[in-house]
Amino acid sequence: MMYNFYVERDSVLHSLDPRVKLAGSASAVIILLLFNSPEVLIPLFFLTILLVYTLGKITPREQYRVLKPLFPILIITIVVWAFVYDPWYRGALIGVAYGLRLLTFGLIAFSLLMTTTQRELILGFIKLKMPYEYGLTMTIALRYIPTLYMLALNIMDAQKARGWEMEKGNILVRMRKMSAVLVPLLIASIKTAHELSIALESRAFGARKERTFLYTIEMKGRDYAALLMTGVILGIALYMRYGLGFGHIKLY
Amino acid sequence: MIEVKGLWHIYEGGKEALRGIDFDMGNEIVALVGPNGSGKTTLAKHLNGLLKPTKGEVIVDGLNTKEHSVAELSRIVGYVFQNPEHMFFAESVFGEVAFGPRNLGLSGEEVEERVRWALEKVNLEGYENRTPYSLSGGEKQRLAIACVLSMKPKYLVLDEPTTGLDEKSAESVRDIIRSLHREGHGILLITHEMDLVLELARRVVLLHGGKKIFDGPVDEFFSLELRDYGLDRPELLRISFSIGTGFVRTVEEFVGRLAR
Repeated sequence: MMYNFYVERDSVLHSLDPRVKLAGSASAVIILLLFNSPEVLIPLFFLTILLVYTLGKITPREQYRVLKPLFPILIITIVVWAFVYDPWYRGALIGVAYGLRLLTFGLIAFSLLMTTTQRELILGFIKLKMPYEYGLTMTIALRYIPTLYMLALNIMDAQKARGWEMEKGNILVRMRKMSAVLVPLLIASIKTAHELSIALESRAFGARKERTFLYTIEMKGRDYAALLMTGVILGIALYMRYGLGFGHIKLY
Repeated sequence: MIEVKGLWHIYEGGKEALRGIDFDMGNEIVALVGPNGSGKTTLAKHLNGLLKPTKGEVIVDGLNTKEHSVAELSRIVGYVFQNPEHMFFAESVFGEVAFGPRNLGLSGEEVEERVRWALEKVNLEGYENRTPYSLSGGEKQRLAIACVLSMKPKYLVLDEPTTGLDEKSAESVRDIIRSLHREGHGILLITHEMDLVLELARRVVLLHGGKKIFDGPVDEFFSLELRDYGLDRPELLRISFSIGTGFVRTVEEFVGRLAR
């Protein structure tokens, strides 16, 4: 079960402050949304792979592994564009570009998660003035995904041992059958959440308004440099798009 | 007859949970013991086909578990999971117990008859309209047994059936196990409670690191150096061994020896 994407490496991206990485990811998403011509989007996709490899030391192979679940969307996008656009080969090319744009979004998100620990990421959000409770909620949610997954498997085993078969019957029958798993899962989750809240309160959660941190993050010179560079690149992209009218095509 | 031959199980990710287990059982009470992570649950889950062998085979009354679904095998081997709440989803005790027989495709009458029979076996008559989650810990455990029993399996796997129960509830669960055994069911008892092993089992199988270390009568089992496997003898045996009255199963037996 993949829930934590983080991979330990010694790279530029790994060592940057999470706030800079958040700003970088946001800028990258904006840049991707600025352009819509295949001649820009397709190179941008490969440029992102290269950057994630050189700056984050995440090999193309590892990038491929996390992007693989998104491939069906790429194929659907290509097929749909080929159908609706005339001529079809131009449509297919636009489909490729738009599909790759989606993959690039995915790549940006995954590279953030692969180079930043959950703790750093949440610290980053909190330093950006997000309330601590939200950060804790996020951490707990991430932490419990594998636990609930294991619980669901266990419940399914228990029901299979009573002759329960999900594979049989049409979709309505199957949905009704899922209640045999969902009800115990829901009740167990609520109980777990309740126990967790007692555990949190018994450890004085919320006793102080301003929370202190044992580990914290600080912006260093290189973080400011990286932030500046991100800003410059974003500025150049905006100028190219709106000042020069580059990289935008009229579709209809 | 359940026959396990040269069973290996390797989980995704390469963990070797079972490494060449040979084991068979008939209608007897067998205690399956071993420290956490020794492979007890993995072995038990092979008996009704929840897990399929990586290598080797499991034959249940002539059926190879590789060729039959869990639903088919559940008529022969019942499996009561450790936490009863992980199976409760119906609004009433009746509906809960009826779930298994209904999955077997039995007629309404037959289902009803089986539910009454199973509830009687675990002394829960009159609870038909209660909500499963409103029962006490001991009642939940008994209900879990009834849920599996209503499928009339010949063998029962019970995972920690008395853990977390008060003495009275634990005793009623033990009584049920004894009576099921008398009626010809084979029972595999997964447990960490050595008192339970001493009281119920004639035969003990000890797993350690995915291998079968010991398989034999309970008195021989308790003469092993159990601390090497993260286990220990029950108090009764420690006293009995140290004053030289030898192996006894119950306090009554021990007092009888002393009186002689």
